Amino acid sequence: MNGSVFRTMATYLEFIQQNEERDGVRFSWNVWPSSRLEATRMVVPLACLLTPLKERPDLPPVQYEPVLCSRPTCKAILNPLCQVDYRAKLWACNFCFQRNQFPPAYTGISEVNQPAELMPQFSTIEYVLQRGAQSPLIFLYVVDTCLEEDDLQALKESLQMSLSLLPPDALVGLITFGRMVQVHELSCEGISKSYVFRGTKDLTAKQIQDMLGLTKPAVPMQQARPGPPQEHPFVSSRFLQPVHKIDMNLTDLLGELQRDPWPVTQGKRPLRSTGVALSIAVGLLEGTFPNTGARIMLFTGGPPTQGPGMVVGDELKVPIRSWHDIEKDNARFMKKATKHYEMLANRTATNGHCIDIYACALDQTGLLEMKCCANLTGGHMVMGDSFNTSLFKQTFQRIFSKDFNGDFRMAFGATLEVKTSRELKVAGAIGPCVSLNVKGPCVSENELGVGGTNQWKICGLDPTSTLGIYFEVVNQHNAPVPQGGRGAIQFVTQYQHSSTQRRIRVTTIARNWADAQSQLRHIEAAFDQEAAAVLMARLGVFRAESEEGPDVLRWLDRQLIRLCQKFGQYNKEDPTSFRLSDSFSLYPQFMFHLRRSPFLQVFNNSPDESSYYRHHFARQDLTQSLIMIQPILYSYSFHGPPEPVLLDSSSILADRILLMDTFFQIVIYLGETIAQWRKAGYQDMPEYENFKHLLQAPLDDAQEILQARFPMPRYINTEHGGSQARFLLSKVNPSQTHNNLYAWGQETGAPILTDDVSLQVFMDHLKKLAVSSAC
Amino acid sequence: VTPWAADPEEVEMAELYVKPGNKERGWNDPPQFSYGLQTLAGGPKRTPLTKRIAAPQDGSPRVPASQTSQGPPPMGPPPPSSQASRPPPVGSYLASSVKPANLPVMESETLLEDVLKPLKEALEDCRGHTKKQVCDDISRRLALLQEQWAGGKLSVSVKKRMALLVQELSSHQWDAADNIHCSLMVDHVTEVSQWMVGVKRLIAEKRNLSSEEEANEETSTATAEEFQTVPGVQEAP
Repeated sequence: MNGSVFRTMATYLEFIQQNEERDGVRFSWNVWPSSRLEATRMVVPLACLLTPLKERPDLPPVQYEPVLCSRPTCKAILNPLCQVDYRAKLWACNFCFQRNQFPPAYTGISEVNQPAELMPQFSTIEYVLQRGAQSPLIFLYVVDTCLEEDDLQALKESLQMSLSLLPPDALVGLITFGRMVQVHELSCEGISKSYVFRGTKDLTAKQIQDMLGLTKPAVPMQQARPGPPQEHPFVSSRFLQPVHKIDMNLTDLLGELQRDPWPVTQGKRPLRSTGVALSIAVGLLEGTFPNTGARIMLFTGGPPTQGPGMVVGDELKVPIRSWHDIEKDNARFMKKATKHYEMLANRTATNGHCIDIYACALDQTGLLEMKCCANLTGGHMVMGDSFNTSLFKQTFQRIFSKDFNGDFRMAFGATLEVKTSRELKVAGAIGPCVSLNVKGPCVSENELGVGGTNQWKICGLDPTSTLGIYFEVVNQHNAPVPQGGRGAIQFVTQYQHSSTQRRIRVTTIARNWADAQSQLRHIEAAFDQEAAAVLMARLGVFRAESEEGPDVLRWLDRQLIRLCQKFGQYNKEDPTSFRLSDSFSLYPQFMFHLRRSPFLQVFNNSPDESSYYRHHFARQDLTQSLIMIQPILYSYSFHGPPEPVLLDSSSILADRILLMDTFFQIVIYLGETIAQWRKAGYQDMPEYENFKHLLQAPLDDAQEILQARFPMPRYINTEHGGSQARFLLSKVNPSQTHNNLYAWGQETGAPILTDDVSLQVFMDHLKKLAVSSAC
Repeated sequence: VTPWAADPEEVEMAELYVKPGNKERGWNDPPQFSYGLQTLAGGPKRTPLTKRIAAPQDGSPRVPASQTSQGPPPMGPPPPSSQASRPPPVGSYLASSVKPANLPVMESETLLEDVLKPLKEALEDCRGHTKKQVCDDISRRLALLQEQWAGGKLSVSVKKRMALLVQELSSHQWDAADNIHCSLMVDHVTEVSQWMVGVKRLIAEKRNLSSEEEANEETSTATAEEFQTVPGVQEAP
């Protein structure tokens, strides 16, 4: 019995991994409960993490268009799950059962001559569309000049550097701002002109276009379609020029940028017109290149202090809002500013453009108010202390990194459509997207995340961008397991590839239905606790944006208790008898660490930091998201190769080196003895070369993480007793604290000065509640 | 132990290096990787460190067996190498294979003339084909390069890489030349940003010129690859 359960586990782990590699999908449940009632009793919703553009070096795109189901309300794409009648040249849609004629080009097909999209290994396939004009990518730099000299110089150099990394035919533009906003005309002639706007007054798109002389008549957005390049008004080229034509002049223009010339008197903040500058950037692209891949890249070194979107006044003695101010309803500018940026973000999303925010300053810069600009458009958000840091410089370089094909790892203007078989409906999505408000037949009335639609727009995405998609089982209780025994979902992502091609990626997956009453063990064994933890965490973080923190924690706790009641094995009222099977064993500790994480706890974080952490949590793939929830801890010693250890204070030992990865920080911590040995200089003695190697090993491993991570994390090298050891101590489970140290006897591990609840206490409470019949 | 870099001068020479971040401007600023390291195509990848172990179900931590028997932390020296049971550290590819010391050291100083002359010749080739203003602009930047080089303002690493760039340019290896230009912009932007864009433009203009010349001779084979269909599909519709 045990043996077979283990085998099932191993098989499912392989199955889950294969599916993630091939289709970029991880489901919370891999065998689906066949009725609505049973599905709700599973506590964790049927949901998946989808990485629409997951890198597939082994999947060359096909150079033809997909075949669609002819039923107007379905339009599902021909896939390996469809039944095919090769003699009659017919195929049956696996979603709506419509019988369809193959198009004329498919007359040659037979069992031995199949098009790729019918082969089982092409459950994910990518089509390159031949139609439609290709327009170049657009990069519009919006640069704050209220920076310190050192910072401005570093930023200018990074921008000059980026001209070497951009695709040569990309269009590039420059807006600078301080007290005023300047839109720079770019010309090859050497004389540069700019249009100056006041930073205090917001302008409509129409006004901006009139003032910039973009004479194109206003076109309602819904009607605008990507047209051939010649349709774009010629005038736009004054502000957006191909890199290969203006690189020399733009290099000079950037080199000559000066700090904002307006004097800043003592006790004042510089006047920074971020709100108007962004508004002009959005309006400029809206009028010239709607529905074409474009990035607005905002570089800012402080909070907006005037005009629409201002976050704080210019009096330095009045600090920028804190969580405390927000709770006390004492954040004067927050609501109005947020509204301004939300309006801009929504317009940008409608235009199919994205907004990146690179905010480098020691104090807050207003990410809380501006976050929607990146979150709704799929733009990047980067937070650093200064533009003159390797953290900013390298993160910025990595925006322009290339994949195995030499293509930029960025895509634009995507729409994701989700189609389901009849027993399922789509409840919503959480990720860097906006709703397209398309209410198809497969849209659920119950919303999880951004719902009420089965289509979303993702204006900017890369191969790791990941959405959580939530479903609802709608099959009635006691109804038989649906026909064919399997349910299916199709994900259709249309997007602009960085090569400017239009492409469609199609992933079609199926999973078995099971009757939850007679086959609960099957459903249980196919539970993906990692995916479930991330999907529940996304729901929690999504709620935390609009609800009070304690309410969200209570909700998460309640879900965890219910899950343990449902899937734990125990005798009623006997906590010591409680056990979870292997497929659930990590789930409670994920929830424990999630409760303590900066995604749900705002204590010790500024509103900007919380916004920054949540931004990244809502878009990374499963592996990275899980690192954010429960950091990884590896231990290095003379006793063997590096090994993963519990994220627990008991793992902090004198003769170990620890490497911790929290996603945002990489920490190397030398235990007490190791630190003493290093101080004594053993690593420099030839006879102790192995000690030198021991010290080097975690550095090399850290380097490998640093090289791949986006954005660059902070890097902390510390040791026992070091002030920076707090980064490790605040993350480990406080199994030994100053309160219970004596109960533990010997010096094993390191006691933590905290009154936080430990995992042990958490588990004890959880078991008590789970086995109690009162719940 | 110095993390990665030994002698900074020596390290700068190599194209694959890591230098410390700017701790003065950013707390815990991460180290900075050179362009060569960042773009190192799929180097020897180790198993990613993403494993976790489950806490025992009662939530109490397991104390490693080796530790319980040891009592107080050893205060003596670490085990000497001869006795160490520890296997060699896992794939520290940077420490071993990419150590700057392993790279050939330039025996002779790169000469300004060796770099400037081919660049000027390339510019002369472009005159007549490229707009005069662009040529003048490139010429102005080459003069700036000359001035900074002669004034001793350029580092050995920049000079060395410029010599390589010119070699690639002369043998019509456009991608390679462009790649070296990118590496210089990323690794040494402060030194090179003012004039490098002229070199960049020169590579592009020279490439255009030579592809115009070649255009009649043969059709590019590069496009054939683009249109491959998935294996097994004979008649892609």
